[in-house]
Amino acid sequence: MRSFLLVRPALSVIPALLLVGACLAQTPAADPKKVVPNTPPKTTAAKTTPKTTAAVKNYKLTGSPAAKVTMELYTDFECPSCREFFLKVLPEVERDYVATGKIQLLHRDFRLPQHNYTKVAARYANAAGQIGQYQIVAQALFAKQQDWAQNGNVDAAVAKVLSPADLEKVRNLVKTDSHLDDTCVADEAQGAKDALSETPTMVIVKDGKRTKIGGFVQYNILKAYLDQILKS
Amino acid sequence: MTSNRKLARPLLLIGQIALAAIFLAAGYFKLREPWLQFAVSLSSFKILPDEWLEPVAKTLPWAEVALGVAILSGILLRWTALLSSLILTVFLSVLTRSYLLGIHADCGCFGSGEPLGPKTLARDSTMLILALAVTAGAFLLRKPNRVE
Repeated sequence: MRSFLLVRPALSVIPALLLVGACLAQTPAADPKKVVPNTPPKTTAAKTTPKTTAAVKNYKLTGSPAAKVTMELYTDFECPSCREFFLKVLPEVERDYVATGKIQLLHRDFRLPQHNYTKVAARYANAAGQIGQYQIVAQALFAKQQDWAQNGNVDAAVAKVLSPADLEKVRNLVKTDSHLDDTCVADEAQGAKDALSETPTMVIVKDGKRTKIGGFVQYNILKAYLDQILKS
Repeated sequence: MTSNRKLARPLLLIGQIALAAIFLAAGYFKLREPWLQFAVSLSSFKILPDEWLEPVAKTLPWAEVALGVAILSGILLRWTALLSSLILTVFLSVLTRSYLLGIHADCGCFGSGEPLGPKTLARDSTMLILALAVTAGAFLLRKPNRVE
């Protein structure tokens, strides 16, 4: 017992070294269990986004294809934290990183089952995407979330930001396009691979490595992290 | 008294190893994730100023690892155990405050993805009791067997 007590300080170095080694073996942002290997792009749209895995339409992607980092943002149109992130944080990310060509931004739908109208909202957004109005409709859906989440009148929120002609096209697509949910299904499949447990969740993709950040992130700390990622 | 000490010493050792394991695990699981994820957890408690989030998220996991190693080594055990008790008291206070205020926080105690709830509070209370027991044991059994 006594000899054990004497050598214990020395023995304690072993787990410490193992632990430090294990921590240092990680890249600053990588977790091998969460890395999803890239697969060849499946669609024409996906050919422009080689860093991502799911087949996605171009209207969900913004920023320069030359950007070394892609931020994949999983949101649910009816989730209040997503609303806060979309309206408060995302404009700053777009201004400082997307517009400057540093980061590509990819919106991904992750419709939570407990939300009653999120599927309808996502259909409207994706229908708007088909006619090149995804961003403006997504913005309107988040801005008016508190209204349509109560009464289910998604159409009214969209009607405020589209011209009558575009609104009619969107309504028709929402009613008739059987493939309108395809990108949502692909996004959710990718979300399952990313082991998503909440929205909003960002997946930062760099050099094929996918790093998941779950929950609402304030811009100042997100900025510090993105700057670090871009420098590394 | 001597037989009590004989019994108490292995118990203290077990408690010491368990306490060290808790801190090593807490530090390790945080360090496996990007520091931003822990900063998000810290932010969810709405208690730290924004400018503190990054430095705390970057240093606290390493401090936990260092404390775990120190407790495991047994060097200055009274003081490292006391420090662990103080730290766990602060953690438990923050968790309890957030729970009572109805803040939907992510504990972040052993990595992300653990919503704050009664289970978290029960677990952290148990850890605090363990830390206090180790602290008391370390002070009561101050190195009678230590050989110069």
